[in-house]
Amino acid sequence: MADNKEPLLSVRSLAVEFRTDKGVVRAINDVSYDIFPGETVGIVGESGCGKSVSSLAILGLIPSPPGKIVHGSIKYRGQELVGLSEYGYRKIRGKSISMIFQEPMTALNPVFRVGSQMVDVICRHQKLSKREARLKAIEMLDKVGIPSAGKRIDEYPHELSGGMRQRVMIAMALSCGPDLLLADEPTTALDVTTQAQVMGEMAKLQKDFGMAVVLVTHDMGVIAETCKRVLVMYCGQIIESATVEEIFRCPQHPYTAGLLRSIPVVREKKLKRLPTIEGKVPDLLHLPDGCLYADRCPKVQDRCRKEVPKLVGETGKQRVACFYPNNREDLM
Amino acid sequence: MSNKLLEVKNLKKYFPIKGGLFRNVVNHVKAVDGVTFSIEEGKTLGLVGESGCGKSTLGRSLLRLQKPTEGTVVFNGKSVLDLSHTEMKALRRDMQIIFQDPFASLNPRMTIHSILREPLDTHRLGSPSSRDQKILEIMDIVGLRKEVLNRYPHEFSGGQRQRIGIARALVLGPKFIVADEPVSALDVSVQSQVLNLISDLQERLGISFLFIAHDLAVVQHVSHDVGVMYLGRLVEKASSEDLYKDPKHPYTQALLSAIPIPDPTKKTKRIELEGDVPSPINPPSGCSFHTRCPFAKDICREVDPAQKDLGSNTEHLVSCHLY
Repeated sequence: MADNKEPLLSVRSLAVEFRTDKGVVRAINDVSYDIFPGETVGIVGESGCGKSVSSLAILGLIPSPPGKIVHGSIKYRGQELVGLSEYGYRKIRGKSISMIFQEPMTALNPVFRVGSQMVDVICRHQKLSKREARLKAIEMLDKVGIPSAGKRIDEYPHELSGGMRQRVMIAMALSCGPDLLLADEPTTALDVTTQAQVMGEMAKLQKDFGMAVVLVTHDMGVIAETCKRVLVMYCGQIIESATVEEIFRCPQHPYTAGLLRSIPVVREKKLKRLPTIEGKVPDLLHLPDGCLYADRCPKVQDRCRKEVPKLVGETGKQRVACFYPNNREDLM
Repeated sequence: MSNKLLEVKNLKKYFPIKGGLFRNVVNHVKAVDGVTFSIEEGKTLGLVGESGCGKSTLGRSLLRLQKPTEGTVVFNGKSVLDLSHTEMKALRRDMQIIFQDPFASLNPRMTIHSILREPLDTHRLGSPSSRDQKILEIMDIVGLRKEVLNRYPHEFSGGQRQRIGIARALVLGPKFIVADEPVSALDVSVQSQVLNLISDLQERLGISFLFIAHDLAVVQHVSHDVGVMYLGRLVEKASSEDLYKDPKHPYTQALLSAIPIPDPTKKTKRIELEGDVPSPINPPSGCSFHTRCPFAKDICREVDPAQKDLGSNTEHLVSCHLY
């Protein structure tokens, strides 16, 4: 399906490091992926796995110092983004690639009205007068499902509820018609019923605007309902890449399988014990040799502790970074 | 029938809003607005609801961390709200709390040893030398190695810190623990470890829990009974099996249907709620859910629904005009 198209965004062997007092932390190590026009790709993983850093890197938003892209390339429609000047980034941010963040209260400026923040973005990228930009902003707020948008536009962020604020963020991010939307945990701070509303709104808008979405989340439920493809990250590496159906039917990496098993879901019959993944994520400052999951892996062998498994498999198929991946019989 | 350890009747907690030149009380936030329930010995009541529905305030009011405005709390035959300070302090040995944020609830300048020792010293439990023995016992139960005794909270991961919080609650040997969102700050793989620990503790030590969470799936795993709160009220309460199999209140139904299911082959029929939760300062007249309820009738706007028991074998309490 996506094979014959040019990728919209192409990330190649990206590595990001943070210098801390205790040493250098490699937040992302050798990450490569493509995003094609119009598709929704999920990036999942637990806290500290590098999923947020990977989306911040795309827009040059990694705080530097201490952070730095030390290796690799990020190409948007063929244009190299790594090493771009601040001026160059400004032309892209908000216009071609937009981002929404987890906590809408901190992402919005509390001392400006919602409207003026939106007009700023619109005026920067489009040749519109202030008045036209305001009309455009109202239209966008209306599209994301904010009732009486004409009135709400003159309110301050603190006057809005969490769900409304996140809708404002989405409206702002989409106001210049980007090709790619990076959504970093967009619904994590919201309640489930509000989450359902916002996700529904986003899916509808994505169809209308035809943009690609990268959805960064830790919630496998959200992934299952919205994404076509999934990248699973662990300790700064992509350890599995597959379509949503494949990941849920046959998670090949033992970590993916463990992660899926341990999600608490409402079950018909209550389990006596929840399945868990033993141990904890290794310290990013002192990463072990070999496979980073080896210490927690139930299938670990000698080879796993010596060599680092690479993400193998054909492009476009299910790919996994594991020497002894699960096949379907293992999971039955 | 087993014994009721905790009985709560018509509990209310109103926070005053002050305004005007003389900072007079102009209105109230009705955080908890008339809640009645009981918890049996060795059982867990799960309490779910969205942010701002008053579930944490309820938990804190039970322990008198905040003084309730009205109502009664009877714990083990004692009326908690009428006790003097000294009596209350003695009772706190039996009632403990685990907080949501393991990063904020542990003093960063105290070692694990002093964190766990402090409650024992305050309550003068056992001889000073036996207290350290007790600490080691508890650490073993919650799965902390004894080498970590002299470390500080920042040296631990979120899951480990939550274990320390649990150990602190356990060290006095309480009969009842309020667990206020104990796993919501944790990653899924760690979350299930802590949930299993809580179930184990109950089996081993026979502690009763009030388990507060916003995640319905998490609550199902640890609770015998589940209560659903909306705008300071308990709208539905039933055994865990009944509530998940056959939710009665439209709000519970919406809440359950809104959970994203981690299975792409299953499509949920979602009951989408319109709008936001109304403000608890001026809750809607009649049934507080009528502004968002897909089945709202005229009566819902005017009359506050009474609680009815719809259960056949076990109690299934619902406050809704549909039944």
